[in-house]
Amino acid sequence: MIKRRLHIIILLSITMVLLSVTLLDEKSTTKNTFTCLTTQEIFIAGKPIVLEFKGALENKPQLFIIHSYGRTVLNGVLKKDVIQFNLPKNYYNKTGLVSWFLLENKEEKTKGNFQIIPNDETKTNLESYLGPPSTLVGDGHFTMFVTIPTDNFDNPKLPNTEVAIKHQFLNTITTDNEKTKDFIAWKNIYAPTKSGIILISASCNEAITKEFDAVIYPSIATDFTITYKRNHEFADGNQITEIATSILKDKFGNTVSDGTMVTFIIKNKENALLKTFGTTIEGVATGQILHPEKENSYTVKAYVYGISKSNSIQINYKPINPSIAYSFSKDNRTITVGPIKSFMNQIVPDGIKVSLNIYLKDKLIETITENSSRGKAIFYLSPEFYKEKKYSFEIETLGKTIKITEKNVSNK
Amino acid sequence: MKERSNKYLIVALLFGITFHGSAIFFTIENTYDALIHMFFGNHYANSWFEPWNYSWYTGFTVMGYPPLVHQAIGMLSYIGGLKFGMFTVAIIGIILFVTGSFRYGVLITGNRTVAGYASIVAVISSSFVETLHIFGQLPSIIGVSVLMHAMPEIYLYIKTGKWKYFFTSLSLIAVTVCSHHVTPLFGMVFFISPLIGMVIMDVSREKVNSNKEITFIVFFKSFLSLFKRIVLFCGSAVFLIVFCILPYWINSKANPITQVPIPHGSRDNFLEVTSSGLMFFLIPWGILLFVLPYIFYRYYSKRYIFFGLSITLLTILGTGGTTPIPLKLLGENAFNILTLDRFTLWASIMSLPIFGEFVYRLVEGDLKTALQNKFGTVYHRILGGLFAGCFLLFAIFTITLGYFRPLQPAKINFLPIVNFLNQDQHDQWRFLPLGFGDQMAFLSTQTKAMTVDGNYHSARRLPELTTRAVERLENSKFRGVEGIGSLQQFLTVPEKYNLKYVFSNDKFYDPILYFCGWHRLTQLENGIMVWEKLNVQPLSKILPKEDVSIALKLMWGIIPLLTVLIAFILNIQMIWLQALKIKVLEKPAFLNHGVVYTGFKSWMIKLLHIWTGFMLIIFGIGIYFIYIKNAKQISPENVVKSYYDALDFKFYEKAHSFVVPDKDYPLAQFMLEISVSDGILNSYGKLDAIETTIKHKTKKKASIIAKTKWITPLEIIEKTYTHEVEKIKGKWYIVPEKKDTDLPPDEFITTNINSYYKQGRRKISTQQTYHEDILRQPDLEITKANLIYFDKKYIIIGEVQNIDNVPADVVLKATLYDENDKTLATHNAKYVIKHKLMPKETTSFKVNFEDIAWLKPDDVKPTNFNPDEFTDKYFENKPVTFDIQSAGNVAISDLYTSVALADLVISDKELKGTLFNYGIQEVTVPEVLISYYNAKKELIYVDHKFIKEGVRIQRKQYFKYSFLDLSNLKSLKYSTENCFVNGISNEAIARDVIGKRKINEEEEQLQKVNGKGFNYIKIELNNYIGNPK
Repeated sequence: MIKRRLHIIILLSITMVLLSVTLLDEKSTTKNTFTCLTTQEIFIAGKPIVLEFKGALENKPQLFIIHSYGRTVLNGVLKKDVIQFNLPKNYYNKTGLVSWFLLENKEEKTKGNFQIIPNDETKTNLESYLGPPSTLVGDGHFTMFVTIPTDNFDNPKLPNTEVAIKHQFLNTITTDNEKTKDFIAWKNIYAPTKSGIILISASCNEAITKEFDAVIYPSIATDFTITYKRNHEFADGNQITEIATSILKDKFGNTVSDGTMVTFIIKNKENALLKTFGTTIEGVATGQILHPEKENSYTVKAYVYGISKSNSIQINYKPINPSIAYSFSKDNRTITVGPIKSFMNQIVPDGIKVSLNIYLKDKLIETITENSSRGKAIFYLSPEFYKEKKYSFEIETLGKTIKITEKNVSNK
Repeated sequence: MKERSNKYLIVALLFGITFHGSAIFFTIENTYDALIHMFFGNHYANSWFEPWNYSWYTGFTVMGYPPLVHQAIGMLSYIGGLKFGMFTVAIIGIILFVTGSFRYGVLITGNRTVAGYASIVAVISSSFVETLHIFGQLPSIIGVSVLMHAMPEIYLYIKTGKWKYFFTSLSLIAVTVCSHHVTPLFGMVFFISPLIGMVIMDVSREKVNSNKEITFIVFFKSFLSLFKRIVLFCGSAVFLIVFCILPYWINSKANPITQVPIPHGSRDNFLEVTSSGLMFFLIPWGILLFVLPYIFYRYYSKRYIFFGLSITLLTILGTGGTTPIPLKLLGENAFNILTLDRFTLWASIMSLPIFGEFVYRLVEGDLKTALQNKFGTVYHRILGGLFAGCFLLFAIFTITLGYFRPLQPAKINFLPIVNFLNQDQHDQWRFLPLGFGDQMAFLSTQTKAMTVDGNYHSARRLPELTTRAVERLENSKFRGVEGIGSLQQFLTVPEKYNLKYVFSNDKFYDPILYFCGWHRLTQLENGIMVWEKLNVQPLSKILPKEDVSIALKLMWGIIPLLTVLIAFILNIQMIWLQALKIKVLEKPAFLNHGVVYTGFKSWMIKLLHIWTGFMLIIFGIGIYFIYIKNAKQISPENVVKSYYDALDFKFYEKAHSFVVPDKDYPLAQFMLEISVSDGILNSYGKLDAIETTIKHKTKKKASIIAKTKWITPLEIIEKTYTHEVEKIKGKWYIVPEKKDTDLPPDEFITTNINSYYKQGRRKISTQQTYHEDILRQPDLEITKANLIYFDKKYIIIGEVQNIDNVPADVVLKATLYDENDKTLATHNAKYVIKHKLMPKETTSFKVNFEDIAWLKPDDVKPTNFNPDEFTDKYFENKPVTFDIQSAGNVAISDLYTSVALADLVISDKELKGTLFNYGIQEVTVPEVLISYYNAKKELIYVDHKFIKEGVRIQRKQYFKYSFLDLSNLKSLKYSTENCFVNGISNEAIARDVIGKRKINEEEEQLQKVNGKGFNYIKIELNNYIGNPK
C-alpha cells in the first residue's frame, strides 16, 4: 500500500514537471546543424570508439545508438566547440552494425552508422558442438560438427575464416578445411561402415578444441544360425538345453551391439509356442530351456523381432521309459507311486510331476498332481471327497501312463 | 491476613515440570502432531509474513491453522533451533496447564487447598498425558490452559463489573483464540456459558439466605441485573474470536474444506473397535471413570448445575460413534470434520477441580474420617494406596504406550536424505516419502525440496487428494483402495507433479513403483531406498500461489504475538503480586462460595463402592473377551487365525509353535521353507481379513478352510487354504503342508550378463547443460497402435520396440481426441507395459484413461479393496483419434530377461503355462502380458496377470490364465500415423534404423488359439526382482 502511494506521488510529480515544461515559453528554435567529425566507418571490437560532432552545442545534444547489444542514449562531453560521445565498453566490445542518431531536444538532427568488426589481434576461441553423440554405421548416417570461431570478446569471426576440422577413425586421420559462413564452420562426418568411436577436433588460428567423440554403433542384425547343446537327450524334466546363436552381424560385418535381444521360439509337438530369451554378448545370444517331462520334439527358430531370423532346428527328446512301481494301502486310500526309475535305472530327481487321474465309472472326476520326493509320490484319497466306491486310476509321469483297474476304496 | 504460598501448587509445578519436562524429550517427537506444529514453526521462522508454503501439496496456505503456537516455535527457534522452540513451547504449555488448573480449581471450589490438590492430579491426569505425549497437540493444550486462566477473570468481571477484569479476561481469550480456534469456539459453549450460569447463581445466593431459597425468579432477576455485562463480555469475546484470526476465517470461506472425511478413531464405535475405545475413551477418562458418580453428583448440585449439563453433553459427545447421539447433535458435517476425542479431553479437564476435591476429602477431609469410622484406618490406607497406585499406573501406562506399541516407524536419520536432495540439484524436483509416518514433517523442515504429499490434510488443494479419505500418500497402504489408488495416480503420471524421487522406508511399495516404471537409484546410509523416474521435467522457477492482501498478512503476522504481549502486560501485575505475596490482595469474590467439607454422604460412599465394583466387572469381562479372542490354541479356528497372524507379522518362531511339534520338522527347517518362498503374497501381502470355517471336526482332528484376503500393492488377492489341525494335549496344532520338492538341475551356475553403467555428468560441475555429457535418447519404434472400445472403455493398445543399441526406459503417453481434434484425455501406460527394454526388445502396452477417482459427489465409492480398479474418464464427445508420445531414456537396471516359458498347454478357454528361471536372480513378481490378435494378425487387446508366487533360480512356476471374451471389442483406429518418439515422427526415426520391418517374421511368433473374438495371442514376461544381487 505504502509503496503504491509512493509511486503515485512520484508519477504525479513527474507529470507536473512535464506539464510545466510545456507551459514554458518555447525557446528559440534556431535551426542548428551538426556535422560528424568522425569519418571512420569500420571499427575493431575492443577498441574505444569516440564520435565527435560540431555545431551549436548549448542544448547539449544526445546520441541515441542502436546496436546488436541494445539501444541506449549517450550524453556527450563538451570540448571547446566539439562534443564527444564515448561508446560504453560493452558496446564497443561487440561486433555488428551500429546506427546512431544525434538528438537535440528529442529531435533528430543527424544520423549515420558504422560497423564494428571482430578483433583478430586477440586470442581466437572456438566454440564447438557435436551431435548426435552416437549414430549407426554406414547408410548415410552422420554426425554434425559445428564450430564457431570467435575473438576474445566472443564475437564470431568474419565470414570465410578458415577452421580445420579433423577426425580420426581407426588408422585414418582426415583434415578438412571449412570456411565460416553465417558465423559457423561445420562438417557432416559420415559414419564409416565399421563400428567404433570417431574422435573429432577442430582448430582455428592458435585455438584448438578438446577431443569430441562420436560413437558409431553397428547396424541391425542380419539372419543368423542357431545350435544347441545338452547333457543328454532324455526327456527327464530336469536338464537344461542351451540354444546359442552364431555371432550376430550387421550387413557390414560388424558384430551387433551387446544386449541385443534374441527370442527363441520353440514349437513343440502340440503346436504350443514356448519361448526363451537371450541377449547378445559379443554377438552371441544364449537361451536356455528345461527338458520336457515326456518325449517331445522341439522345432526352434530364433528372431530379432522384426529384424532378422535364424534357421530352424529340430531338437528331439527321447522318452525315459521309466519303470514305475506302485502300491495301494489296505483301504486303497493311500496310493504310493514309486520308486520311479529313470533311464539308467537310477531314482528320478525330486520334483518330477506325478499325476493321478481318478475315474468313477470311466468318468474322470479328479486329477491330483504331486511332486516326487526320493523317487516316490504319495496320494491320499480323503474320505470326505471319496466315498466308499469303486474307482479306477491312471498314473501319469514322465510321459508314461499306467492304467489301474477298479479298486474298492473303503473306510477301513 | 497475609496469604501463604500454596505449597500444593508449588509441588505440582515442580513435579509437573520435572516429570513432563524430561519425558517430552523421549515422547513428543513420536507423537502424531508435534512435528507438524514444528513444520509450521519452521515456516514462520523462514517467512513470517508470507502465508504461502510451497513445501507440501503443490503449495498451501498456513492461514488454515491459528498461528500463535507455531509463531512461538518459530520465534524461539532463532535462539536454539526448531526443536528447542518446540520443547520450550511444550514446557510453557505444561506450566500454563498446571497453573491454569489451579486457578480454575480455586474458581470452582473456592478453596485454595482443594485447588492445590486439583493441580497435582492435573499433572498426572491421563487425558493430559495422552494429549501431550501421544497426540502432541500443543496448540490445544495451550488453548485450553489459557482458557482456564481466563475463567476466574471472566467470573470476576461479570460478578463485580470491574473494567480491569473485563480487559484481563478478554486479553486471555484473545490468546486462546490465536493458539487454537476450536477451543474458544466450543469453550464459549461448554466452559464459559456454565461459568456465567454459576456467576448468576452466586449472585442469587448472595441475595438470599440459603441455596434452597434460590428460585427461578431470583435467578432470573440476578440474570437481568448482570445482563449488560454478560452481553458485553460475550459480544466482545465473539468479536475477538472473529477478529484475532480473521485471515483464518476468510481463508476458510475462500477455500472451504473440500476434503472428504478422513476416518478418525474417535468416530468409531468404541465397543467394536476396541483400540479406538482405549485411545479415545478409556485412557482420557482413566481413573476418573471410578469416581464418575461423585463428579456428576457434585456438578449437579445447584451452584454447578450448568457445569453438570455441560459435562454431560461433553461426555456423550466424547463417545464418538458408539452411540448415535453425537452424530445427531453435531450433524453429519461437523461430526466428520471434528475429532471427537477433544470432548472427552474437555470433560476430563472440567472434572479436575471436583476430582481434586475428592482426593482432598479422601486424603485429609471428611471422606477420610467417614471411611475410617466405617471401615477402619487400615482399609482407608489400603484404599488410598490402591487409588494412588492406579492413578500413577494409568499415567505411566499412557506415557509408555508409544514405547510398547510404536505409533510411528522407527526414528529415521534424515541427514542422508537431506544430503541427497541438496546434491546434484535433486531438490529441483518434488519428492515423495513412503512409510515415514509423521516424521515426514520433520524432513520437510530440513530441506527446501518440495513434496506432493503433506501432513495437514485440511489444507490440501489437489483434487486427487481431497477426494480421497487418505491422510497421507506416505501411509497409503493403511487406507486400502483409496490409499493405493491415490498413490498409483501420482506414480503413473509423475510428470504432472514434477515428481522424480521417492524415498521408500517400506518395502511394501516396491512392486507398485517398479510396475509404474520407476527404478531404484541407490540405498542411502540410513536404509532408505531412493527410487527415480526418468523423463520428468524439473519444477519451474516460478510456482503458482494464491496471494492474499497485505492487510491480512500483517494481521496474521502481528496480532497473535501482540495478544500475548497485551495479555502479559495486563496480567503480569496480578500474577506478580499473587506469586510473591508482596501485598495483601483483595479476596476474589468466588472464594466466598466454597463448600464446607463436613459429613461425606454415606450413601455416596456406598454408591462409589457399587460403581467401582461395577466398573471392575466390566473391565473383567472386557479382559476375558480379549483373552478368548486372542488365546492362540484354544480352538481349531483360533490356531489357524493365529498362525496367519503370526505369518503376517513375520513372527516365524511363533508361527512355528502352532505347527504340530515334530522333531523332524524343527524351526530351522520351517524358517528355511519360509525364506525360500518369495512372491507378491509372501513378501508384499498384508493380511486384510481371514475367515475360517470348519469343514469337519472330530474330537482330535479338524479340517479348516481359511478364506484369506491379502492387500498387496498391486491387487487384492483372495486365496483359500485348507488346513488340517490336530489336538495334542489340549492344544490345537496345524499339520504342516507339503512343500515343493522340485530340485534345480545345477548346483553351481555360471552366466554371462550384460550390465550397464551411466556416468551422468563426467565433469564435476553444477552447470546444467554440459551437452557433451548428455546421452542421446534411445530410439524407439511404436510398431502397432490401436484405439479400441471394449467393456465400455476407450483403450489404446499397441506395441513398442527399443530399436536402439542401448537399453531404454520407455515412458508412453497417449492422448484421445474427438472429431474436432479437441483433447479429451491423456494418460500414461501403467502396469501393462514393460518399462525397461533391452536393445531390440519389444513390449505390448495398454493405456487406460483414468479420471481422478470419485470426483463427483454422487459417485459410488467401492467398499471393497481393489487397487487394480480405477475410475474411467467420462467423455463428452466420442474419441475418434489419438496420438502417442513416447520417450526413451537410457536405462541401466531392471533388465532381467532370463525367464523362459518352458511349457504351455492351450485350450480354447485358458492357458496353463510353466515359467522357468534360468538366470541368477530370483524373480519376485512375474507379470505375464498377453496380447490378443485377430484373424488378420492385428493387435486388438492386451491383458496382464501378476503371478502370485515368485520364480526362484532354476525352478519352475506354474500359472493359469483364462482367455477373455473379445467378441464385443471394437477396433476403432488401427494406425501408427500419430505416434511420436522423443518428439520426432515415429516413422521417420524407425525407417532410418530399420529400413523395412519383416512383418511376416513377427507374425510367425504368434500362438494360434480358437478364442472368442480373437485368433492369436502372444505372451510376454515382465520380471520384477525384489532384491537384486
